[in-house]
Parts: sequence; structure tokens; C-alpha cells
Amino acid sequence: MYNLLLKELKLGVSPFFYIMPFLTGALMLIPSWLYFLVLLYFCFITIPNMHAGYKSQNDLIFTNMLPVTKKDIVKAKVSVIVILELMHIIIAMIYGIISVHLYPNLIYLFFKPSFGFWGLCFVMIAIFNIIFISMYYKTAYKYGAASIVSITAAILFAGGAEWLGIQNSFVSDLFKGNGTDQLGTHLFILITGIVIFAICTFIAYRIAIKRFEKVEI
Amino acid sequence: MLALDIKNLNKKYEHFHLKDVSFQLEKGYIMGFIGANGAGKTTTIKSILNLIHKDSGEIHILGREMLEHELELKQEIGSAFGDINFYTRNKIKTLTNVIKKFYRNWNDDAYYNYLKRFNLNENKKIAELSTGMKVKYSLAIALSHGAKLLILDEPTSGLDPVARDNLLDIFQELVEDGEISILFSTHITTDLEKCADYITFIDNGQIINSSEKEEFIDTYRLVNGKAEQLDLIKDKLISFKKNSFGFTALIHARDFDPSWNLKSALPSLEEIMIYFARKEIVHV
Repeated sequence: MYNLLLKELKLGVSPFFYIMPFLTGALMLIPSWLYFLVLLYFCFITIPNMHAGYKSQNDLIFTNMLPVTKKDIVKAKVSVIVILELMHIIIAMIYGIISVHLYPNLIYLFFKPSFGFWGLCFVMIAIFNIIFISMYYKTAYKYGAASIVSITAAILFAGGAEWLGIQNSFVSDLFKGNGTDQLGTHLFILITGIVIFAICTFIAYRIAIKRFEKVEI
Repeated sequence: MLALDIKNLNKKYEHFHLKDVSFQLEKGYIMGFIGANGAGKTTTIKSILNLIHKDSGEIHILGREMLEHELELKQEIGSAFGDINFYTRNKIKTLTNVIKKFYRNWNDDAYYNYLKRFNLNENKKIAELSTGMKVKYSLAIALSHGAKLLILDEPTSGLDPVARDNLLDIFQELVEDGEISILFSTHITTDLEKCADYITFIDNGQIINSSEKEEFIDTYRLVNGKAEQLDLIKDKLISFKKNSFGFTALIHARDFDPSWNLKSALPSLEEIMIYFARKEIVHV
């Protein structure tokens, strides 16, 4: 499994995708922007391109000829997705802290980059993962439909959350107003988000293994 | 000992059916796996490597059941697909460094020896290699991890005659010690006349014949006769071609009767393949 992970990181993922989190993360510096988009760029760009790379380099047959189990192949590929997602989130969080300090008196139209906001981001990525990973491994090469459905679901979640932030005064206060100082509540949302992310990704991984076992290469 | 033992392999697709494929390869020999495009060569090879799920049948490699011992057996199998390339924009060096970690018996000295022998520069990218060089690279990888069975799908197609001859010489050298066995599929029958010990012929998903090369050819006769003789023996022929002098046909040696007064000769592998393909066209 460790060798497979190394193989993915060295061959499967273009170095560009390791730099991407620093580029998209910098978008956190735009004052009062729609910050869900920062992580959505990972879903828009990195995921489809990475999987297009697997397809064009015949990775499926290459990896399956190695002395490894199909389960480990899925495990390594899902791990790479998770590693990249965590990179995107953590780097964006760091930029977020800088952003908050750069503009201390800003009135936020959309959610402020608080701990609670990052919790919601984890939920958004969790929704993305459970759909993308489980759909992709039906064939292990058709990434188009899986990307469209999972990206749509993630956007709906982000859009819904922001809409609530406009419609509902409690949500608005919690994520944009004085509520952003309630560290306890925000940490709770963050931890809940992380737990949801872990559970959804694990379920996606289990479904992916079952589906990938049936794939003919 | 058998390097490869396939019994009653079946795999059904909507438009194609691999029917009861069985054949054996003795350790230390080269087996040519021939058949027209679409006859089932790649499907058989993919089933052997467990890349596709067989419907039924048994596959034993080096005495062990493939499904049960897949991981250990993959350590001892070297495979190459002539027409599929992987990670072509990466250097040989990068690819090898990734691949070698998966093999317990990887031998770096052997690897560098093969690179030297095959004239491969490890700083070249896969895309910069000629077709023959790519096959040689796959061989270098397989041999450096101590593969005992090489399963090669169309390794010689796309090679020029010089590169092909060179590759076939390498195959022969590899099996000399009796440790390594090679199964390679091809539709270039002259390759087999040069280096195969055994021949397995697949046509439309079924094994027509699998035997030692001379015996394989000796199973058939190519006969020439006049047009009026054709009707008398038509039923015994595998298939025939009419020409201005009469006809030429392929027949099983056991069905051939010397009293017919026909000219007969041993066919080439190519002729066997062509006449079997004609049989299908006639029957359709």
C-alpha cells in the first residue's frame, strides 16, 4: 500500500496539483469574497484533470499488472485525493487567517473564514467525495459524469448554506456577524464537519472497492 | 513442470465468446499464441493475468492456482502489451524507481546489465523509445524482478524486420537455461516459424489446435487439384480457394487420402490461419 501511494504521488499526480492549493488558497485574500469557491476550484480543476491523466496514461492497466490487490489500488488513490483535499483546506485556512487580519473591519457579504466556515467546507468536500469516488469506480475511467454530479451537489450545498446566511438572521450572525467570535460553537461545527468528512470518505472508499472488484480492465 | 496450464476457460461477452479454452505450456519453452485480430488472444491473456473475470475454468501458473495466489504469482510473471504505453512523458529512470519497489526479488545489477545489453538509456523518456525499445524495456523490468513466465501480447507487431529478429533471438536466449517460459501472442506467423517450440491457434474464441510446432503443421496438408476434383472431396476440406488452375485447399492430414491423386504439401502457419478464417466466412 505504501509503495502504491508513493507511485500515485510520483507518477499519477502532476507536480502542478501540489502547487494549486497555494494558488487557489491566495483567493482567500480577496476581501469579502465567496470563499466556498476557493475549495470548489479543487473539484473543478484538480479532480477531473488528475483522472484524465490516469486515463491517458493507461494507469488502470499499468497498476493492475503490478503485484497489488484491487483494494489497495483504491485505497492509494482515495488517499491521494484526501491528501490533496487536506492540503487545499489547510493552506486556505492559513490564507484565511491572514485575510481576517488584513481586513479587520470588513462587512462580509458571504461567510467569513471562521472555524465554523471551514467545518462547512469539510461537509461540502464530504458530499463531493461520496458522490465522485463511488461513481467513478463503477468504471474506473469515466470521470466526466462523476465530476458533473459531484460538483453540482457540492455547489448546491455551498449555495444553500450561503442562501441560509442571507435568509436567516441566526445563521447570518453566526457566520458573518458577532457570532463568529463564539469559538466554542465554531470549533464544534469544525469538528462535526471533519467527522462527516471522515465518515463520507470512508463510505465512498468501501463502495469504490466493491465496485472496482467488478471492473474489467 | 507446467509453466502455464489453462483448462476450460470461458468468458462470454455480448458479441464474443471464449469457449472452453485449454492449453499447456511446459516450463522452459516458447509458445506462440496465434490467431487473427479479434480471435480472442488478448481476452485470453487478460484472463490469465486476472485483468478480466473469467466465467469459468481453471488457470494454474507454475503449479499454483492464479486466483488464490495472484499476488505471489504476479511477482513471478512479467507481462507486456505491445500496443499499450504507460506514463510516456516520464523517464525510464523515474518509472523503474517506482516499479522496482513492488518486487521482492528485484535485482539492480541484473537491471543495469539488461539496460546495457538492450542499449537503453535510462534518462530517455518512454515516448522517445522506438516500439522495439519499449518491448525491450518491459523485458528488462520483467527479467530484473526474476520473472519465470513472460506473457507478452503482440510484442513484435509494429517492429521492423531487424528489430523483430533481434527480439526473437533474445527470446531464445532467455529460455535456454530452462527456467524461463514465454507465451507470446502474435499474428505475424513468421515469428513463430523462427522461434516457437509450441503453437496454440485460436480462432473465433476457440482453440483449434495446441501442440509442438512440427506436429502442429503436420496436422494439416495443403492440397492442389483440378476444379472437377473439388466436388468429390469438398466435405473433407477445412476450406478452399478456387483459382484458374483449379483449387487450393487446407485439409486435416487424417482426412487426406493419397489415392485422390492430388498434389499435397505441408502448409505454412500463415496458410493455416488464412484457411481457417475462410472457413468462417463460408459458413456465415
